[in-house]
Amino acid sequence: MSILEAINVSREYRMKAETVVALNGVTVRIDPGEFVSIIGTSGSGKSTLLNLFGGLDRPTSGEIRFDGSSLSSATSREMSRYRLKSVGMIFQSFNLIPTMTARENVALALAFAGEGRRDRLERAAELLTRVGLQSRLDHLPTELSGGEQQRVAIARAIANRPRVLLADEPSGNLDSRRAAEILDILAGMREADRRTIVLVTHDQQLATRHADRIIRLRDGLVEE
Amino acid sequence: MNFTDIIALAFRNLRQSKLRTTLTMLGVVIGVGAIVTMVSFGLGLQRNLLRDAFARIDLFTSITIIGPGADTLLALSDERAGREQENGGAPLDPPARVLDGAALAELQAIPGVRYVQPQITYQGIIRFGGRTRRLAIGGAPTDIEFNPRFSEMIAGRYLQARSSTEIVITERFLVNLQRPPGSLRPGGGPFRPAPLKSEEERRREAAAAIGQSVVLLTLPGGGDETANSVFGLPLPANSATLNTTGYEERNYQIVGVLRTADGLDFTPGGSALAWLPFAEVERLRQAQGDPLRQLGELIAGESGYQSLELRVADLSRVEAVREELRRRRFNFFSLSNQLAEVRRVFLIVNASLALIGGLALLVASFGISNTMIMSIRERTSEIGIMKAIGGSDGEITRIFFVEAGLIGLVGGVIGLAAGWAVDRVANILANRWIAQQAGQGLRQIDFFSIPWYLAAGAILFALLVSLIAAIYPARHAAKVDPVIALR
Repeated sequence: MSILEAINVSREYRMKAETVVALNGVTVRIDPGEFVSIIGTSGSGKSTLLNLFGGLDRPTSGEIRFDGSSLSSATSREMSRYRLKSVGMIFQSFNLIPTMTARENVALALAFAGEGRRDRLERAAELLTRVGLQSRLDHLPTELSGGEQQRVAIARAIANRPRVLLADEPSGNLDSRRAAEILDILAGMREADRRTIVLVTHDQQLATRHADRIIRLRDGLVEE
Repeated sequence: MNFTDIIALAFRNLRQSKLRTTLTMLGVVIGVGAIVTMVSFGLGLQRNLLRDAFARIDLFTSITIIGPGADTLLALSDERAGREQENGGAPLDPPARVLDGAALAELQAIPGVRYVQPQITYQGIIRFGGRTRRLAIGGAPTDIEFNPRFSEMIAGRYLQARSSTEIVITERFLVNLQRPPGSLRPGGGPFRPAPLKSEEERRREAAAAIGQSVVLLTLPGGGDETANSVFGLPLPANSATLNTTGYEERNYQIVGVLRTADGLDFTPGGSALAWLPFAEVERLRQAQGDPLRQLGELIAGESGYQSLELRVADLSRVEAVREELRRRRFNFFSLSNQLAEVRRVFLIVNASLALIGGLALLVASFGISNTMIMSIRERTSEIGIMKAIGGSDGEITRIFFVEAGLIGLVGGVIGLAAGWAVDRVANILANRWIAQQAGQGLRQIDFFSIPWYLAAGAILFALLVSLIAAIYPARHAAKVDPVIALR
């Protein structure tokens, strides 16, 4: 059974009088442990699809399923639970809280899961060690390089052991060497933890680097 | 996310923008400070006026029954002579019951009455410690076990039954007789300031008076007219001019000194400075009574006491006894209803004062709302991040409520301290001003009172106002769309 499914999903945005169609009846299935790259030009709807998978947004029509169960009827509380436990997200702009140190940023995700202060700081240190930042625990995001910030974001995304990792242009703000490093880390996450990885990018080369499968989107539709 | 985490997070958020937090909090500080200062002034006023009345619960079990005055008796006699014939001999109801022996027995029989005691005072001329003064001497019961009026002895003991040579004096008696000749009499009325002396000094002076002798000067035979008397009554005069030659002297020995309490004294017969056994005062009055009253009693053919003190067995029965007295057409006065009225007035005064302070806090609440909204605008992306990594709407809402609550709570505590500080400074200035106006030696008055319920209430109110101010911003924060916030 697929772990993530988008079944005939559409997403429209209303902007004043205009209606913008970001996704127009997309059906995608992703299997457990798969590394899938979604590529497309900007405006193709790839980020919209990832936000729907990540539980940040809901489709206008169609259905998103996680591990066989639909998210359509989930309450906002259940959706936040889903974001907390089931999926981890990484963004192009890292999205770390600028006033918190690397360790605190990772620990915040654990705090939302209700872990105690001592436990979560300890575990945050472990997670950061895993992405190679053991010497950067108490640095603020501004004191870290882009690649380091993204590694903090990865540590945060896997903090609550989600089965799926969703990465939205994770290397978009990085030079090609750092970008490759980040992708290697993501690939490592799949190998070590049997985690499903969904990577959204516009970079053909990066998309093919580790992916088992590539899904192309154009103008809100899947290109076969 | 548990509550401690939320508090910690809210704290760090507030610390991020110290200046803004401080300014917002300042509004709460001023609001709470204003409430505390205003209401503490009202409460201080209330306490200073009623401290004693409230403290002494025995005041509320006391009912003063007032008999008809001499004028009423005279009018009654006239009316009776004329109207009884018109009425076919039917007796008329007097406007107030005459307080004679029969009435006394009737009152004593009312359920719930502990005792009834005639209140009699005698205006006597007293010599003590080389000074002579005219003052009121009360008749004290010697056969009543429970009598709260005489429970607070600063030195010595109470009168022994059937002793006719013992006298109990009050602390005011000592003060009064120690006044230099020609100085102003201490003011009348129910308000009496506490003696300025320390407790030990008071005790020492009172103890020193025990065993000393008080001389009561009376006119021999009652009827002779000297230059100082009219109808056999000595003319009121200052001790400087009081001629005491030709008076008979009676000696009494001081056995006890009653403590003078601070504040309002509504005790019936509270104006008496010394107390002799009841029978002794009655005997003195027989010999030398109020001539007008004697005249009235003579013409009206009625005798009776001017007033009685009735003591109810316990507080819960006061209303029943009052009802019974009303039914039996006694004219009476008791404190319970007066006090309720005074309390009500103060409640209104304090509420108005609180309202003025509350306005300041209302203004502060807009400041809190504004700060929260600004803060949410600034932190939209942070809110988006928290949502993306699993923060629920409820948790986001709580973070902002706790932030506002912290502003309210800390502002409230500082405001309370500020209000207290203003009180202290104002108190010092006021007392200094009073000292300048009235001269040294006056007791320091504390004009303000901050009871625990004012302190707690002010802080809770600040907290409540802050939380209300945070409702809109916190909901707004929870509704942040993470997709837009993270774009």
